[in-house]
Amino acid sequence: MTAPVLECDRVTRLFRVKRGLLETPATLRAVDDVSFSVREGEVLAIVGESGCGKTTLARMLLGLLAPSGGSIRFAGRPMRQVGRTHIAARVQPVFQDPYSSLNPRKTLGRIVGLPLAVHRIGSEPERRSRVAEIMELVGLPAHLVHAYPNQLSGGQRQRVAIARALAIRPAIVVFDEPTSALDVSVQAQILNLLLELRQSLNLTYVFISHDLAVVEHIADRVAVMYLGRLVELGGTAEIFDSPRHPYTETLLRSILTPDPALGLPPGPFGGDFPDPLDPPPGCPFHPRCPSAMETCRAVPPATVTDAAGRVECHLYDGESHDR
Amino acid sequence: MTGDAILRVRGLSVDIALPSGTLHAVSDVDLEAARGETLAIVGESGCGKTMTALAVMRLLPRRARLAANEIELLGTDLRALSDRAFSDLRGNRMSMVFQDPMTALNPVYPIGDQLEEIHMRHRGSGRREARDRAEYLLARVGIVNPGTRLGQFPHQLSGGLRQRIVIAMALMCDPDLIVADEPTTALDVTVQAQVLRLLKDLQAEFNMALILISHDLGIVARIADRIAVMYAGRVVETGSSRQIFGAPTHPYTRGLIDCIPWPGRTERRTRLGSIPGIVPSMIGDDSGCMFRNRCAWAEERCRTDGNVERRIENGHAYRCVHPVAHLRGPPP
Repeated sequence: MTAPVLECDRVTRLFRVKRGLLETPATLRAVDDVSFSVREGEVLAIVGESGCGKTTLARMLLGLLAPSGGSIRFAGRPMRQVGRTHIAARVQPVFQDPYSSLNPRKTLGRIVGLPLAVHRIGSEPERRSRVAEIMELVGLPAHLVHAYPNQLSGGQRQRVAIARALAIRPAIVVFDEPTSALDVSVQAQILNLLLELRQSLNLTYVFISHDLAVVEHIADRVAVMYLGRLVELGGTAEIFDSPRHPYTETLLRSILTPDPALGLPPGPFGGDFPDPLDPPPGCPFHPRCPSAMETCRAVPPATVTDAAGRVECHLYDGESHDR
Repeated sequence: MTGDAILRVRGLSVDIALPSGTLHAVSDVDLEAARGETLAIVGESGCGKTMTALAVMRLLPRRARLAANEIELLGTDLRALSDRAFSDLRGNRMSMVFQDPMTALNPVYPIGDQLEEIHMRHRGSGRREARDRAEYLLARVGIVNPGTRLGQFPHQLSGGLRQRIVIAMALMCDPDLIVADEPTTALDVTVQAQVLRLLKDLQAEFNMALILISHDLGIVARIADRIAVMYAGRVVETGSSRQIFGAPTHPYTRGLIDCIPWPGRTERRTRLGSIPGIVPSMIGDDSGCMFRNRCAWAEERCRTDGNVERRIENGHAYRCVHPVAHLRGPPP
């Protein structure tokens, strides 16, 4: 097993949320006591529905947001000690929407070269040649170096965002829904590119997505989040072939492969997502869970770690009940 | 099938005049939706699928020009109707479900008012009767406490709930046709499956025709009886769901299916298929095949013969100069 490059130890992030003008602010536990590590060279996917905390977690991994509790370590050192600038040089983001994540008033050359300029890497001509090199690597024609984002298609823009992230040779790239805004044929091009780059540049990816088919295709390991909790973690084969947490099963059941013989999956899908400001007691998934037991309504499940991975569910924590 | 056709469209085109020329957003599209049947229109952004739907509903932007040989709803020629007469049909015999339920609902009125208004407008019913209908439908789309929900405003509801309400709204007058444009794109995956299930169940129960517009091949395969694949304003292949996914023939359809990661079929962490190049400009006249600049089978005659329709069997047809046997094999 390779060394962890990023380690989250019981990371929690709280937000104070005002609901109404006169009401006292409530506390939102966006990320709640989450521990995991990202190993060098792997693709770790984080999946879950909107509001599960995956984007908040990504922002903390990028050093853009400090945890309220717990700690994140980068290459063995606490992130706070490593410092914001150094983290930025080693951990780079690619966001979902290539329309809002690129400055419309700068040329591609400036956009892709900006991280080099900010970190004062190389001389002006060196930066220019690095920009040309990285643009070629991500499949952008060289003449586009003087183009503006509005002259590009969505797929080309996402290539620009990837080029910008890779310009300073980071160790880790954090992708937040990188293909959700793209058409399927463009998505395929981008996923192929990500797989190639990972191989050739020996990169580590943290890949956040709600699209499980994409995750299955690209990830080595998968972390499933629900209401701020990491409810299951395991290898892609384990998660997809033999999921353990009932929430993971629910998610997998909702993947619609284009197989006309199958029709729509049978329910139930256990109703709507609960209010994250007022999470259910016990296991947060119990109101939607088909296997919920009495304990689940009152007692939060403990995390069970074994060879297959980790799961946070009373079905597996070995207390006095049978499956 | 012709006997119980609810909607029949022949030769539909939508042109948009731009300073740089005429953009052919939709070119010569034929569609047919029968009672109890789901027709899916699938394609990528800009292929003209939404414009087709808007043209049928007469909701096109002002600059767009519509031309058609035939648009019939239950035998009525929709082209001949005045705007006034058309608005008596819209929301009544035919209704639309949009992608984003937040913009489809008026934020400053309680949802009850918005549902009841439709019934009162089209059925001339009183408030009491309209409210009963609204309550019944909210319960039918799986909303608990419909009475309370009717007094709430859109912002107080989750996205999944809002989309259920928009679906209930479309059903207020028991329509013959529902056009749903990407109805689940804004929703989470588990909610998406629920909403699709609901749409399919309601379609059977109300015995309607459903036209579903989507970019998602998974959704389309699971829900559609018939599929029209659109590319650059044209329908390039039509057929049953089994024909399209079991024996895709047009190079674009084949390319599109190869692009998607398909759990259980594509091998993990391997290259996906891809379609080289980008969509061509749809400005100006082009009698050739619009896919030719990205197609492995393209030949000289593809530049001129874009409209050769070939029929395979039982309603499976595609537009390409090449015969089936040639296209089903590996690219030349």
